[in-house]
Amino acid sequence: MSAVGRTRSRWLATALAVAGVGCSDIATPIRNDFYEWRYIVPAGSGVGFDSLAFRWPKDRLPVRIWVEDSLDLRTNVPAAITAWRQAFLYGEFDAVVVSDSSTADVIARAGAAPGIQFVRTRLHSALAPECAGATDLDVTPDHQQLRLPVRMYIDPRSGQSDPNLASCLALTTTHELGHALGIWRHSADPTDLMFSNPEVTEPSERDMETAQILYHFTPNVEPVGP
Amino acid sequence: MLKATLLLVALLAAGEPRLQAQTEYHARLGAVWTNDLVRDFIFDEITVRQSIAPMLALGATLPVGPRGYRAGLEGTLASGKFHSREEGGDIDLGTLRTATLQLGLEGPFSSALRWRAGLGGIKYLPSDDEGVFLEGGPIRFLVGASVDYRRAVMPRWDLMLSLGYDYHRFSTDELKHRGFSQSQGVSRVAFTVGLSRRPQ
Repeated sequence: MSAVGRTRSRWLATALAVAGVGCSDIATPIRNDFYEWRYIVPAGSGVGFDSLAFRWPKDRLPVRIWVEDSLDLRTNVPAAITAWRQAFLYGEFDAVVVSDSSTADVIARAGAAPGIQFVRTRLHSALAPECAGATDLDVTPDHQQLRLPVRMYIDPRSGQSDPNLASCLALTTTHELGHALGIWRHSADPTDLMFSNPEVTEPSERDMETAQILYHFTPNVEPVGP
Repeated sequence: MLKATLLLVALLAAGEPRLQAQTEYHARLGAVWTNDLVRDFIFDEITVRQSIAPMLALGATLPVGPRGYRAGLEGTLASGKFHSREEGGDIDLGTLRTATLQLGLEGPFSSALRWRAGLGGIKYLPSDDEGVFLEGGPIRFLVGASVDYRRAVMPRWDLMLSLGYDYHRFSTDELKHRGFSQSQGVSRVAFTVGLSRRPQ
């Protein structure tokens, strides 16, 4: 090939490379680092199992949360909302604290959860010495509806003088809000906030990826009420 | 680029009378349309796009050469809502402002029509540091071109209609942090109307 031909080829290759970069789209990440979030229960029909998938629909956002004025919940719940909002890229989840519990989608209370005989589904969490948490879900027997409100309980197990109590209450609140937004299972990895006995204070990248995926997965449980 | 911009601004600001006499100023209002900023796929396609936004453009040019060419600086500010879209509906993501600054060259097509081409930057200014802008709005390199129509309406004042196009590659620190690679090609088309003050 002549020098002129080589020069033309180089210009053509450069032009094609520039055009290729100019026309290409952003490359989406591979999302494969997540855990099972669906709650698996014996099927309502009695045969096999149901995998219950829930997320707050767009038309119910922002989720309304009523918060008891106790145990720093009025500080910890807004911080938990912020932590979970940051898991999402496209505004999939949002929540606000409301003053009227009768219209709330989620109720956050301080103290021990009531006896198990009063709830259909309870997700226990954070069995640390300092505090514990629980989220109660009232799913209808046919497994198609979630009766609102969802109830979160944050229970201190040690005295106020315990130096680890405040951080335990904060991370347990964020963990329980993770259940309330739709992560109805625990991660098996202790580095995740949604591990059954969480130690990290913020949602991990795996927690965030799980939340992001569940908010684009077609749910089979819809909220009803209040 | 930055040095040339600063030099032009400094020259104009210095108040050199001969330069001021040759300076053309313009101000326009209009709207800008933008295509998708982000395209993602999680079970379905998700896009993020800014709505058609009102835009303000301010600029000044100085003559370069004898054939009617002028070099100038133009800044724009647009402010509008932006939203994510997925099958099943849109989600309002708040307000997104964009500011651009371009150093450009313009020349005549005819007595009433002129072309402009420029290089510069675009800065994204979201109302909230959330979602794709969690780690802040980026500054990106920008290229643009436009066709301007001018018609005298008053002594020394022209009505100016401008149809402009610009292009940049969009990404944010948060998108990179989430594993997005490369960037999204973003085209913007703006139509603006305003006044231009001719040189003395």
